[in-house]
Amino acid sequence: MNHLMQTLALVETSITCAAVITLLLQKTTPQEFPLIAKVFLILLISNLFFWPLGLGMELPLSAYVRGVIGDLSVVTTLLLWTSLLSVRKFAPLAFKFAVACIAIAFYPLALGFGMIDPYAWGYGSTLFFIAVLLFAVVCGLANWNKGVWIIAIAILAWAAHWHESANLWDYLLDPFLALWALIDLFGVLYRKRREKAQSGYLFRPG
Amino acid sequence: MSRVLALCFLLLAAVIGFLHIDSRPAWAPFAINAVTSVEEVDVPAPSPSKNQSIPSKASIPSPISTWLPDTGAASVHAASLITLKDGAIRAFWFAGSREGAADVVINSAVFDPKSSNWSVPSVVMDRVSAEKGLSRYIAKLGNPVPARMADGRLQLFFVTVSIGGWAGSSISSVISDDEGLTWSNPQRLISSPLINLSTLVKSPAISFADGRLGLPAYHEWIGRFGEFLRIDAGQVINKHRMSSGRSAIQPLVFVNDAQDATAYFRQTRSAGQAKQVPVSQTQNAGQSWQSEADLPIANPNAAVAGLQLNNGARILVLNNLETARYRLVLMMADAKSGQWQTIEVLEDDEALPADQRKEFSYPYLVSVDGNDAHLVYTWDRKKIRHRYFSGAWLKRAQSQLDTPPVDVISQEAK
Repeated sequence: MNHLMQTLALVETSITCAAVITLLLQKTTPQEFPLIAKVFLILLISNLFFWPLGLGMELPLSAYVRGVIGDLSVVTTLLLWTSLLSVRKFAPLAFKFAVACIAIAFYPLALGFGMIDPYAWGYGSTLFFIAVLLFAVVCGLANWNKGVWIIAIAILAWAAHWHESANLWDYLLDPFLALWALIDLFGVLYRKRREKAQSGYLFRPG
Repeated sequence: MSRVLALCFLLLAAVIGFLHIDSRPAWAPFAINAVTSVEEVDVPAPSPSKNQSIPSKASIPSPISTWLPDTGAASVHAASLITLKDGAIRAFWFAGSREGAADVVINSAVFDPKSSNWSVPSVVMDRVSAEKGLSRYIAKLGNPVPARMADGRLQLFFVTVSIGGWAGSSISSVISDDEGLTWSNPQRLISSPLINLSTLVKSPAISFADGRLGLPAYHEWIGRFGEFLRIDAGQVINKHRMSSGRSAIQPLVFVNDAQDATAYFRQTRSAGQAKQVPVSQTQNAGQSWQSEADLPIANPNAAVAGLQLNNGARILVLNNLETARYRLVLMMADAKSGQWQTIEVLEDDEALPADQRKEFSYPYLVSVDGNDAHLVYTWDRKKIRHRYFSGAWLKRAQSQLDTPPVDVISQEAK
């Protein structure tokens, strides 16, 4: 069971590495890659990451990546993977805002600031679980169905003990998702501010 | 329509999630070891020995002193012990060219109390085995801590680091069905939301009444604080914070009763703050901890080892200094007074010039029958020393504890 879990985690990391590289390659060209090209790139790169290459390395490349970043949350993984299908709407701004707010409150407390540890709620707090479900329902009401599917899959993965962690937080949030939400949010705010400045609203006659 | 489908799927996930929460074991009280009533008998004192502060007579043997087997490694550290079913003692420690080097391995050897000899050491875990078993890159190993599971198997916790120093540690564990001769593949314990960084282990685990283990762990990166992990085989199923901030690591837990326990820490306070042993207390079997007044014993940011004997007396081994680790003492508090007194100076290089003083650190205690004590500690980072205190010797020491010992402790703290 442990061996299977480790193998699946390496497969997941390999596909995620391939997805990130494919997305970066996509950024270099103005035209979107056709689906067949994306599938080919994912298959090629994920195999490169999954199988041991030798060359003096004791482990496959994905194991080195995993050693540094650990297992990404199911939410991050699915957001990354699904973004290959459509780069237009990765996630709505409200979701990024919510993730950023949660991360700002969560990480300092979880890393030792005070005696309250919200991370411990993820081991089986019913109230925390209800809060997660409400968050997913709000995603649905806001018409972001992908978010509902992703959170539901994360919950199922937690219940099935898909990763090494028994903590629901580890299936929902990770530092990379938090960083991405924060950086993207600041980017959007900066762009909006610049657009306003360029529209000349500051110099409109009163 | 797609929204309805998504919400139906969420409903399914919710039901499975609630069933999962419902299936998780509830928190349990501490397991209480049966305390045997030891009758007051006139026990003769141990024979005189160097650095000994207890009067002694010939019929009680002096504490035995041995060295853990030399593996040829230049640097050794962090030894720990566990009692085997046949009454022998198995030791674990890490050894390599230097602390944190890639060639560091976790060694083990067995002490036969009849012959007072250590077996040939074996390698329990090396870096390559760890990274293959955990399917991730591992840069170094450290801090092995053994525990006895409820089903009788041995579980060995140890820390691994993939990037950075010890602050980047995570805990993993292996399990043995044959008293430590062979071990399973390692499993990772996930206990931190930030890439699982910075959770370490040093002190022995305690048992819950439901057979699961409570593992005192600690963080030492952004914060330096203790955490009490509830372990079910190879995974953390709950945890609670034992302290906060940046001032206390390596918790050592003494169980007082099924709900009540006291934790002593290694202090990591900044300059100007008290260099004493921080204390936390729980009254609900570890579900919440409150900081208490320090134990007024000096602590130089060094590990503390402890053990509760069957007669209620407790012993501590620590460096009772505010700086440096050149002195190591054995202290005892009896169940009635609870006041700590030094009963044996184990090592003391105070007389030597500062640059020649050795480091005596990372003590670890275990008892075979609840009356005696085996101690191991790092001796100048070059060797691991083993000391054995018989039940009779400790009993004699306990009988000679002063009744009003407050002055003794306050002197230690100065």
